[in-house]
Amino acid sequence: MSIMQYNGGCLVGMKGKNCVAIASDRRFGVQALGLSTNFQRMFSVNNRLYYGLAGLGTDVQTLSEKFRMSVNMYNLKEERDIAPTTFASLVSSTLYERRFGPYFSEPVIVGLEKDDTPFICAMDLIGCINFAKDFVVTGTSSEQLYGMCEALWEPDLEPEDLFETISQAMLNAVDRDALSGWGAVVHVITPTQVITRTLKGRMD
Amino acid sequence: MARRYDSRTTIFSPEGRLYQVEYAMEAISHAGTALGILADDGIVLAAEKKVTSKLLEQSASAEKVYVLNDTMACAVAGITADANTLITYARQQAQQYLYTYGEEIPAELLVQRMCDLKQGYTQYGGLRPFGVSFLYAGWDSHFGFQLYHSDPSGNYSGWKATCIGANSSNAQSILKQDYKETGMTLANAKSLAVKVLAKTMDSTTLGSDKLEFATVSKGKDGKIAFHLFSAEEIDQLLKDENVAQFKEEES
Repeated sequence: MSIMQYNGGCLVGMKGKNCVAIASDRRFGVQALGLSTNFQRMFSVNNRLYYGLAGLGTDVQTLSEKFRMSVNMYNLKEERDIAPTTFASLVSSTLYERRFGPYFSEPVIVGLEKDDTPFICAMDLIGCINFAKDFVVTGTSSEQLYGMCEALWEPDLEPEDLFETISQAMLNAVDRDALSGWGAVVHVITPTQVITRTLKGRMD
Repeated sequence: MARRYDSRTTIFSPEGRLYQVEYAMEAISHAGTALGILADDGIVLAAEKKVTSKLLEQSASAEKVYVLNDTMACAVAGITADANTLITYARQQAQQYLYTYGEEIPAELLVQRMCDLKQGYTQYGGLRPFGVSFLYAGWDSHFGFQLYHSDPSGNYSGWKATCIGANSSNAQSILKQDYKETGMTLANAKSLAVKVLAKTMDSTTLGSDKLEFATVSKGKDGKIAFHLFSAEEIDQLLKDENVAQFKEEES
C-alpha cells in the first residue's frame, strides 16, 4: 500500500504550436472504493498558467491553497503576473521545504511565457523539476500515459489537434488503471483564450 | 514639561496621555490628504501626492493607495516606509485567513488585525508607534461595502466619509455638510471627492500628477473590482467637475 496510490488520479501536460494543454481525470477514492467523480486536481494561476497535482487528495487541496496564497502575495507585491518558470521554482521550493516529511503530491505545470512560448514541466514529490520538451505525466497511470503520449504526440500540433491528442492519451491510459478515470477534464491554453472541455469517458 | 514623559512609548504622562502616539499623529497631519467616501454601490478613495518632482519616476508603484486583497484596498497618510511595512503585514494576514478558512477575510477583521499590531507598539517593546493612518475600503458578504479609519494608537472606527492627513479637519467639515445619506451613488461620491480635494489641497494647480484616485465597486460579473484611475481618467474627472486649473496660455 503506497501512499501515492491511496486516492488515485493522474495528469498529463503537452506542448503544441504556440499552445499548451493539460488534462486530468476526475476520480477520487479510498483505495478500491471510488467516492467522487468530480475531484478537482487542476488549478489556474492566471489565464496563461495552469497546474495540476496528483497523489494524496488532502495534499492536492492543501498545496493548491498554499500556492494560491503565495501567488496572491506575489501579484500584490510585484504588481505583475507570475511567470511559468518562476511559478515552477515556487512549487519546487515549497515541496523541498518538506524534504524529510514531504507532501505526497507530484505536480504538472503548463503555461505560456511572456513571449507566448509554450512551457511545461513536472516534478517529483520533493520538487525535482523535469523541464520537458514534449509532454509530462504524473499519477497512478503515469506509465500508461507515457506509453500513450510517446505513441500519439508529435511536435507543433495546433490547439484543436493538441486537444484530440491529449484527450485520447488520457482516456485510453486511464482505462488501463483501476485507480484513475471516472471522467476527464482538458484545458487548452492559447495566447488568446483558454478552452476547457469535459470528456465523456468510461465510468468504470 | 512633556519632555520627561515622551521619550518612551510605553509610559503614560501625568495627564494620562501617550505622547509618542500623539507625536505620531502630528507626523500624519503633515502628510498628503487622503479621503474616503462610502456610496451605496462602492467606495471612493482619493489622495493628494505630496512629493512630485519632474525627476520622479511616475510609472513606479503607488504612493498613497494600495490593494490589500481581492476585496479590499486602502489609502495611507503618514510615513510611507511605515505604511509599506503595515501593508505587507495586512496582505499576509489576508492571505493567511484565505488559506485557513477558504474565504476572503471580512473587512472589519482585517482592520482589527492591523490595529492589534499597532496597539502592541504603544504598549510593549519600547519601539515607536507606526506614523501612519489608514483608510480601508472593502467589501464582504456580511456587511457589504465598508469604510474604516485607523490611527497609530490602534483605534479604529467605521465611517460614511472621512479624511486623514493635512487639512483633514477642513475636508471633514466639508464632507459633513455635503455628504447625503440617501442617494449616494459611486458617481456622486466621485464628484464629491473631487470637490472636497479641490477645496482643501495646497497646490494651485490641481492635476493628475498630484492625485491618486481609486474606486472599489462590484463589477458586472459580481466580483469586486478595484480601479486605480490613470492620469487621463483623473484629468477627465477633473474636467467633468470643472475644477481643472487651466495652465497659463503659452505665447
